[in-house]
Amino acid sequence: MATYLVRRLLQGCVTLVAITVVVYALARAMPGNPLTAQLGEDPSRKVSAADYERMQRAYGLDKSWPEGYLQWAGNLFRGDLGRSITRKQPVTRLIGDRLGPTLLVSGTAFLLIWTLAIPLGLYASARSGTPDERGVSLVLYALYSFPTFVAALFLQILFSVWSKGTAWELPLFGMTDLPPDAPLAARVVDVARHMILPVVCQTYVSLAYDTRFIRATMAEAVRQDYIRTARAKGAGPWRVLFRHAFRNTLIPLVTLLGLSLPSLVGGSIIIEQIFTWPGMGRLFFESIRERDYPTIMGLTLMFSLLTLLGQLLADLLYSAVDPRVSVE
Amino acid sequence: MAAHGFWIEAWRRYRRRPLAMAALGFVGFLVTVAVLAPAIAGTKPVLCRYKGRLYAPCLAYFDRRFEPAIFAKDKFRGTYPKNLAEKDPESWAIWPLFFQDPFRAVRADEWPGRPENPSMDQGVPSRAHPFGTDQSGVDVLAKMVHGTTVALLVGFVSMGIAGTIGILVGAVGGYFGGWVDAVTSRVTEIVMCIPTLVLILAIVAIIEKPTIWHTMAIIGFTGWTGIARLTRGEFLRLKGAEYVTAARAAGAGPLRIMLRHILPNALAPILVPITFGIAAAILVESGLSFLGFGPPPPSASWGSILNGARSNLAMWWLVVFPGIAIFLTVLAYNLVGEGLQEATDPRLREARK
Repeated sequence: MATYLVRRLLQGCVTLVAITVVVYALARAMPGNPLTAQLGEDPSRKVSAADYERMQRAYGLDKSWPEGYLQWAGNLFRGDLGRSITRKQPVTRLIGDRLGPTLLVSGTAFLLIWTLAIPLGLYASARSGTPDERGVSLVLYALYSFPTFVAALFLQILFSVWSKGTAWELPLFGMTDLPPDAPLAARVVDVARHMILPVVCQTYVSLAYDTRFIRATMAEAVRQDYIRTARAKGAGPWRVLFRHAFRNTLIPLVTLLGLSLPSLVGGSIIIEQIFTWPGMGRLFFESIRERDYPTIMGLTLMFSLLTLLGQLLADLLYSAVDPRVSVE
Repeated sequence: MAAHGFWIEAWRRYRRRPLAMAALGFVGFLVTVAVLAPAIAGTKPVLCRYKGRLYAPCLAYFDRRFEPAIFAKDKFRGTYPKNLAEKDPESWAIWPLFFQDPFRAVRADEWPGRPENPSMDQGVPSRAHPFGTDQSGVDVLAKMVHGTTVALLVGFVSMGIAGTIGILVGAVGGYFGGWVDAVTSRVTEIVMCIPTLVLILAIVAIIEKPTIWHTMAIIGFTGWTGIARLTRGEFLRLKGAEYVTAARAAGAGPLRIMLRHILPNALAPILVPITFGIAAAILVESGLSFLGFGPPPPSASWGSILNGARSNLAMWWLVVFPGIAIFLTVLAYNLVGEGLQEATDPRLREARK
C-alpha cells in the first residue's frame, strides 16, 4: 500500500511537471505578451522602445521560454506563485478573490444536483420500464444534450428581455449591482438574484448526467445474484432497492464525486463568461486573453493538482471499499 | 465470417429501437441538407447556360476555386440574376430553392421585385425570411443550411482524428504492456489533466489564420484520451484470449494480431464513445464559435450565429433557430450512440430478458 502510494505520488509529480511545461510553452507561443496585450488596448499609453524593453526585462519576458519556466518552477519551490503582470497583484490573492464567487455558484449547483439526482435516479430505477419513467428519462436525456450556452442565452432572453419590468425580471450580468456599503440583507438578496441563472445553467446538465449514471449503476447492481437472493428471501421491492442495490452503487457514486472536485473549484469558463460572473473560469479566460503567464500557470497548476488528487482519491476509495479491486 | 453475423445481429437489435432509428434518420437528413446546401439556399445558379456553355456556379459554395473563371472575367461580382440577363439575353439558369446568400445580405432588386434584406432588430422572421436575418442582414436560414456542412464535418473529421490517435495509443499500450504501457498511459493522463478548453484556446491563439479545419484538428488532437483508455482496456482483456494465442502460434506478427484479430472484436465498444465524441465535438465547436474563438467570417458555423445574439439579446431568432439545430444534432448523435451501445453490449442484452 505504502509503495503504491509513493509510486502514485511520484508519477503525479512527473505528470505535473509535464503539464506545466506544455502549458507554459503554449502560453509563451501565443502571439504577443502581457505588455502588448495590455498596451494594445489603450492607445494613450504608448511607451518608448527603451521603456518597453525595460518593462520586458523587469517581468522576465526577454528570456526564452525554458528559462522562464525554470524561473517559475524555482519560485514555486519557494512557495511563491508569482505576481500577475496585468493586474499587479500576487496570483494567490487573485485566486483567493475569485474562489468565493465560483464556490458560491458551483457549490449551490453541486448541492442541488446531488439532492435531486439521487432520488430521481432511484425513482427511475424503481419504476423502470413504466411510461412515467420513460418520460422522465427522455426529458433528462434531452437536457443532457442541450448546450449550456444556448440554455444561458434562452434564459437571458426569457428572464431579462421578455420579462422586463415584471416580477420575473432577473439581472443579466455580474454578481451584484449594489455598492459594498449597502445593508447586508439587501446585498444577500441581490447576489442571490444574480446567482439564479448561472446556478440553473450549471445544474441541469450535471443533474441529467448524474441521474442517468445512478440509474445505469443501479441497473447493473439489480442484475447481481445477491439481489435475486434478497428477493427470494422475501424482502420488499423498496427494501431491496435501498438496502441491497443502492448501497452497492455508492462506490462508483463516490468516485464520480471525487472526479467532480476540479470542476467544483474551477467553475465553468463558458457560464462565467456569459454571465460575467467574477469567478475562476472567467479569470482563466481573461488571463489567456491578456497573456498573463503567472496567472495562467497558477490556475493550471491548481486544476491539474486537483484533477490528479481526485483521480488518486477515487482509486484509493475504490480499492478500500471493494476488496475485489486491488491497487497493487 | 462470424464478425459479419455479429454486425447483422446488432443492426437487427438497433432497428427495434424507434428513437435510435429516428436519430439515425435525422443524421441522414442532415447529410442530405449538407450535400445539397448550394441547391437549397444560395444566390448562384445551380446550373446555367451562358454564352453557349453550361456552368454550375453553385459549386463555389463548397470551394471558391470551383467558381467558373468566365464569371469573374465578365465582372459578375457575385450577383448573377441581372448580369446573366444583361450580358447574354439567350442565357437561362436553374436557381436554388431559396434565393438568399449565407455570407452576405441580398441587396434591393438583386432578384426581380425583392426588397433589400432587413438588418439588426428589423430582421424578425417573416415570409421572406422564415428564420429572420442577422445584424448585417444575412438570412439566418441560408446561414444555417450552409452551417450544416460545418457541423457534420466537425463531428466526422475531429472524431476521425481522435479515433485514430486513441485507438493507436490504446492498442499499443494495451497489447505490449510493460514500459510501453507506462509511457502511453502517462501521456494519456497528461493530455487528460490539461483543461481542454484552455488547451484549445491557447492553440487557436497560436494559429495565425484559423480556419474551420484547424478547429477540427484541435478538437481531434485533444479529444482522444477517453477512446485510448477504453481501447487499452479492451486490448488488455482480449490479448489473453485463446484465438490470439492461436494466431500467435500460427506465426502472426504483432501488427497483424492487433489489426486483424483483436481490433475487429474490440470495435463495437470503441465505436460507442466515438459516436458520443461526435456529439461532444459539435458542442465544442459551436461553443468556441460562440465565444468568438471560431474561424473568422465568412464561415457559416451555427455557433457563430449565436455569438451575434450575445450582444443583441432582443434578436431572439438568432438564439432559437441555431440553438435548436445544435440541440437536435447533439441529441441525435447521443441517441445513435446509446442505440449502438444497447445493440452491441451483450451484458445489456441479457438484462432485457
